[in-house]
Amino acid sequence: MSLRDLLRTSWRGASANKLRAILTMLGIIIGVASVIAMLALGNGARAAVEARFRSLGANQVQISEAMSFNDGQIEQAGEILSYEDGLLMSEGADMVDHVDMSIGASGKARFGRATLDIQISGVTANAPENLATAGQVQPVGWSEGVAFTMNDLLADGRFFTPAEVLEKAPVCVIGWQTAIDLFGGDGPIGQMIRVNRSRCEVIGLITELESVDESERYRSDPNSILFMPISTVIDLFYEEEPSVQITAYVTDESRMDEAKSQIKEYLRERHKIEPDSEGEYIDDFNLTTRKDILGAQQEAANTFSLLLAAMATVSLIVGGIGIMNVMLVSVTERTREVGVRMAVGARSLDIILQFLLEAILISVGGGLVGVVMGILSIPLAASLNQGMALLEPASIPLALAVSIVVGVLFGIYPALRAARLDPIEALRYE
Amino acid sequence: MSVIQTVGLIREYQMGNATLKALRGVDITVHQGDFIALMGASGSGKSTLLSLIGLLDRATSGKYYLEDVEVSSLTRDELAAIRGRRIGFVFQNFNLLPRFSAWENVALPLAYRKGEFGPEEQYKRAMNSLSRVGLDRRAGHQPMELSGGERQRVAIARALVTSPAVILADEPTGNLDSTTGNEIMNLLNELHAEGKTIVMVTHDPSIARHASRICVMRDGILTEGESAHVAA
Ligand SMILES: Nc1ncnc2c1ncn2[C@@H]1O[C@H](COP(=O)(O)OP(=O)(O)O)[C@@H](O)[C@H]1O
Ligand SMILES: [Mg+2]
Repeated sequence: MSLRDLLRTSWRGASANKLRAILTMLGIIIGVASVIAMLALGNGARAAVEARFRSLGANQVQISEAMSFNDGQIEQAGEILSYEDGLLMSEGADMVDHVDMSIGASGKARFGRATLDIQISGVTANAPENLATAGQVQPVGWSEGVAFTMNDLLADGRFFTPAEVLEKAPVCVIGWQTAIDLFGGDGPIGQMIRVNRSRCEVIGLITELESVDESERYRSDPNSILFMPISTVIDLFYEEEPSVQITAYVTDESRMDEAKSQIKEYLRERHKIEPDSEGEYIDDFNLTTRKDILGAQQEAANTFSLLLAAMATVSLIVGGIGIMNVMLVSVTERTREVGVRMAVGARSLDIILQFLLEAILISVGGGLVGVVMGILSIPLAASLNQGMALLEPASIPLALAVSIVVGVLFGIYPALRAARLDPIEALRYE
Repeated sequence: MSVIQTVGLIREYQMGNATLKALRGVDITVHQGDFIALMGASGSGKSTLLSLIGLLDRATSGKYYLEDVEVSSLTRDELAAIRGRRIGFVFQNFNLLPRFSAWENVALPLAYRKGEFGPEEQYKRAMNSLSRVGLDRRAGHQPMELSGGERQRVAIARALVTSPAVILADEPTGNLDSTTGNEIMNLLNELHAEGKTIVMVTHDPSIARHASRICVMRDGILTEGESAHVAA
């Protein structure tokens, strides 16, 4: 038979009993919807991890203070993470090449009659490099995916040196918008401004920046910024020793676990953390690497995925058995039809294809509905998994392929049974 | 050349330990243009013989030449292909496909000849065949919407559509009242007059009288008789 005739024949067969066909599809629908949702979860987790990856390099360990709950209040678990903790880290843990530290403060910047409320970033000397590699901001109009360097970020002047950081030098590097607000159109380099009453020389100007992620673009302006050496900021803004954020750069990124234990030992020693009676350490800091982020997010996604995979498998098998059952009934009901077809020249393959195609029509019909249901269920899956679910485009052809496979797998036996019927007995069947 | 020639055709059924001999060596020759009435008591082997001739069944032993080709060594699919081209069946219970219109039923044998007839050609030939039996105006109706006589006409149109070597009819009037039965017999007579070769099973001597030859089955043995003798 031509494909056209075959399709018409199988379609009539499948649609002869519509309710039965639809009920039979249910298993496939649930199975395919689960496949779509499962892959969306995996995809969502991957996207979330990738977003975090952009800000945390493979050789970095992020060090933050541990928090503890007390009477419903979040408070610091132990000692603060101090500037000195960071300063001495590369000596105390020899796998740490260098560290990067930062602290925020808000204050007033003044030049002549212009006064500005501004976010001040206390950073170490390689902050611009981090800015370049973190990939969250880029020079305005930068073509996507092209790497840029410290030089691409500086419009004028220079950034402060490690020596200036150690010396609490009164210098600053300002953002594009800050320069406009303070100096109008005039060149800022070499000018003395006041930051909270202290004099500070402008030594560098950052080029105009924009967020790489378009959705972030209007949230905060990366150009209204003022960088100062972290030591200077602590000196100017804090009376007590403040907490800082530390990122350690490890010399060998293949030995991150070792580096982490070194950092752990170093900080335990500095913070005088002793093992408790059971030999457990209660640390007052957390160490995070890329692998930790990946692990945590993947774990959550994996639990759901596993559940969905089990559901998909069971549903598809149940659906397949349903199809086989319906097809066996259909073949029996239409025994005489098979006899007639054989009498007028149908070969075994013609009969096999007719019933196989009928099974495939049912399973693919279920598959199509399942794809739609799966896509509709993604928001639900996302809400169960910290908002991480994203339709995986490849899952649609995959789901349809799976439903074809189910149709073939469970339709072949009834089809073979039909083709093996004896024409005379089939014609005589009541 | 004969359309059909059988030599010592034997068909046995194995029933447990017993062997039932439905055909005990049948020799029959059918020539182009013959109209043969196959008569005999119920259970004498008429349908069995027709099934063998129609390639729906295989003989236990003996030779069968269909248009001078010996068919016993052919495969199931080869038999199906020959059946679709050279044999036209008319059954007592019509055997039309429900949910398919009259013309679709008639076109069915053409549909199984892959690549030979496009959709338009199938329709055209089915309509030709339907108008030959006077039913072209009912082409779009499903079997359920047709009377018994009309259904049998559709079945005859289906048997004609491939211009087969022989039309095999097993009690074609068995499910019809005598008036309608006569109409069907008139149609078969006309087809015979046009030169078609027909082998028809019937119990009814008045119907058998239309045939050019009468063969009688008795216990799996075929004897040839004269039309007048049987009628008497
Ligand atoms: N499939 C079968 N299995 C066993 N016996 C059969 C089968 N088909 C026919 N027979 C037997 O063969 C004999 C001839 O049957 P059949 O050709 O149908 O007779 P008729 O058509 O002349 O009434 C009968 O005795 C019948 O019971
Ligand atoms: Mg019979």
